[in-house]
Amino acid sequence: MTTSGISRRGALRMFGIGALGAVGAGVLGACAPSGAGSPSNGGDPKSKDFDFTSWSLNEEAAKPSIEKIIAAWEKAEKSTIRAVSYPYNEYLSQLTLKLGGGETTGAVHLDIAWLAAMAQMGKLVDLGSVAGKGGYTDVALKSGTYDGKHYGLPWNTGSIGVIANSQLLEKAGIKEHPTTVEEFESALRELKGLGGGVVPYAAATKVAQLKDIFPWMQTFGCAMLDGGKVTIGDDASVDAVTWYKKLHDEKLIAADVDRFDARALFGQGKAAFYDDAIIGKGVTSAQSKDKTLADAMQPMERPVLKAGDTPQALLWGGVIAIVKGKGQDAATEFALHTTTDRATTSEYFAARALPPSTTAGLAAPEVAKDTFTTEWTRKITSTATGSPFWQFAQNAQIEEAVAKQVQAVLVGKSKPKDAMKQAGEEAAALIKR
Amino acid sequence: MTSTTPTPVSAVGRPQPSATRAGRGTRRRLRKDLLRSRIAAWSAVVVIGAFGLLPVYWLLATALSTPESTFQFPPKLVPTDLTLSNFTALAENDQLINYMVNSLVVASITAVLSVIVATYMGYSFSKFRYRGRRSLMHLVLASQMFPQALLLVTLYTVFSSFGMLNTYSALVLSFTTFTMPLCVWMLKGIFDTIPDALLEAASIDGASRWRTLHSIVAPLAAPGMIAAGLFAFVRGWNDFIFALTLAGKEKQTLPPGLVSTYIGEFQTAWPQLMAASLVVSVPVIVAFMFLQRYLVGGMTAGSVKS
Repeated sequence: MTTSGISRRGALRMFGIGALGAVGAGVLGACAPSGAGSPSNGGDPKSKDFDFTSWSLNEEAAKPSIEKIIAAWEKAEKSTIRAVSYPYNEYLSQLTLKLGGGETTGAVHLDIAWLAAMAQMGKLVDLGSVAGKGGYTDVALKSGTYDGKHYGLPWNTGSIGVIANSQLLEKAGIKEHPTTVEEFESALRELKGLGGGVVPYAAATKVAQLKDIFPWMQTFGCAMLDGGKVTIGDDASVDAVTWYKKLHDEKLIAADVDRFDARALFGQGKAAFYDDAIIGKGVTSAQSKDKTLADAMQPMERPVLKAGDTPQALLWGGVIAIVKGKGQDAATEFALHTTTDRATTSEYFAARALPPSTTAGLAAPEVAKDTFTTEWTRKITSTATGSPFWQFAQNAQIEEAVAKQVQAVLVGKSKPKDAMKQAGEEAAALIKR
Repeated sequence: MTSTTPTPVSAVGRPQPSATRAGRGTRRRLRKDLLRSRIAAWSAVVVIGAFGLLPVYWLLATALSTPESTFQFPPKLVPTDLTLSNFTALAENDQLINYMVNSLVVASITAVLSVIVATYMGYSFSKFRYRGRRSLMHLVLASQMFPQALLLVTLYTVFSSFGMLNTYSALVLSFTTFTMPLCVWMLKGIFDTIPDALLEAASIDGASRWRTLHSIVAPLAAPGMIAAGLFAFVRGWNDFIFALTLAGKEKQTLPPGLVSTYIGEFQTAWPQLMAASLVVSVPVIVAFMFLQRYLVGGMTAGSVKS
């Protein structure tokens, strides 16, 4: 026998060693740093110096304006802010690890979809006493709330809604935005008649972005979660997916489309509608060769099932949360200043086209004169709601489980009823975990 | 019945017309077969080559394109709007040089450390017999069985406890954790091929075990050691998740650095990302050009036992 060959005995030995290793890893895991397991991440809460963690601090478009805000604060308060950043796609996992491990302190920029998961770690300060002073809009204030407590001061509050290309609509003879699902379908057929490879609605059809179907499910009357019970699988969700499949089969929406593809199609005048956040206008028009596209982009209320229903949209935006521990008080003041100071929010809006979260900020002339933003806020954000699944740490897995089932329907591998039943069961199982 | 007519002198040695036709047919068939097999072989080469080189071509094409043409739908195989601005923009980004220096430092130290430790361990496993040797060998291999994410949490906690986060040491030690098992087994395989008689001869000549390893065995195993070092270097150079988690802003290496710089919440600066990827790949490509023969030789050196 060669010395390097692995016999059955050797394999068993390896298994035993592996098990021992796992126990060892567990023991090592117990050697937690000071902040782990403690509600505070340590340090002097009265310290003037603190950390500010934000994914935007790495991004070319956002970095200069945020650095400017930081520099102004440091100069005025004679303090030092240490900037910390992780890429957006890795942000949640890095923050979970580092907040739990006691490394993260100070102010933390959070996507509103992550607030609940972070708040559940018990390390965030309840900002209830400060939130009332900010003059935030009701929708914005709600976006920073979890379990009745204000864990985040809203920085930018927007939503994900439908954007229309007025030039294409005009070409197809559509004079007004469709308001009901039926009208929307007719408009899509008119647009398809234009030919030239136009995809009437560049809706998400790839798993990575198929969570965009949630507002459509809500449009058809599915609450998704009702009193802790997952309702995906009910008749409304089945109707929504059946309708989506119909659009797919009639080529009114295209296969294999995610947000990036949708922007590319829309940017080249090959799509008349697509779903995006409010910032989509700037991103898509920047990618387009057509310099008149920005003027042709219009926010559209998501069509409703029957006249009088509330248009559905997903709330979207960012909040600043404060970690208990070093620099907590100064970081709170910084967060309040950054999110409410009119000059600061106006300047930030001018640089990034992200709408402020305060009534005064939205009324500022620099913001008010931007028709796209004001229209978007009035038509879409005003009725937007957060996903009921955000409160669960397994949110991403739930979205993926539903998305996979919807895709199975689109490619004809599953019937809508069976797929939604399966999706509902998987989501319920994930919630229980 | 055979013909008695004498065969003309001029016809002697000349094949019969029918035989000539048959011979020509065979040759034609052979030529056709040869041509077919050549076409098949070249087609395979082209397909495999395209599989390997198209991504590189795409990287280069994107690096030379404008952002607008990158998002063109349907995409164009040959870019028309060529620009060097993505490369010139790199020169303005000091941070990239910092990431590159960090990557070079961390990957080089990982390679050297992995080879040093793996040489002693591999030699010990190969040439010495002692209690627990096989268990130790399997223990080394067992560390490869854990999902990286699981070890990441553990290593993060340990490094945090020892105040080692945001240091080169944390990166080097974590990378070495993953490179060592393969390096040890690779070098053990190479040491197995070195005959024990050579070691005995050295011993008879008065060489100590230490001297035998350093002066006789190590030079013979040099290609394998270089291969192991290259493997460790590439592992350290490419790592993303450990570098992102354990290194702070100042010690950030290229993979997380590039992702942080060019992949954002709303969009990805593909042309700049591709240009940066191309430029930072140059040192690794150069290293491979010089050392690839050792890599191939070293990887296969222990595979055949005499």
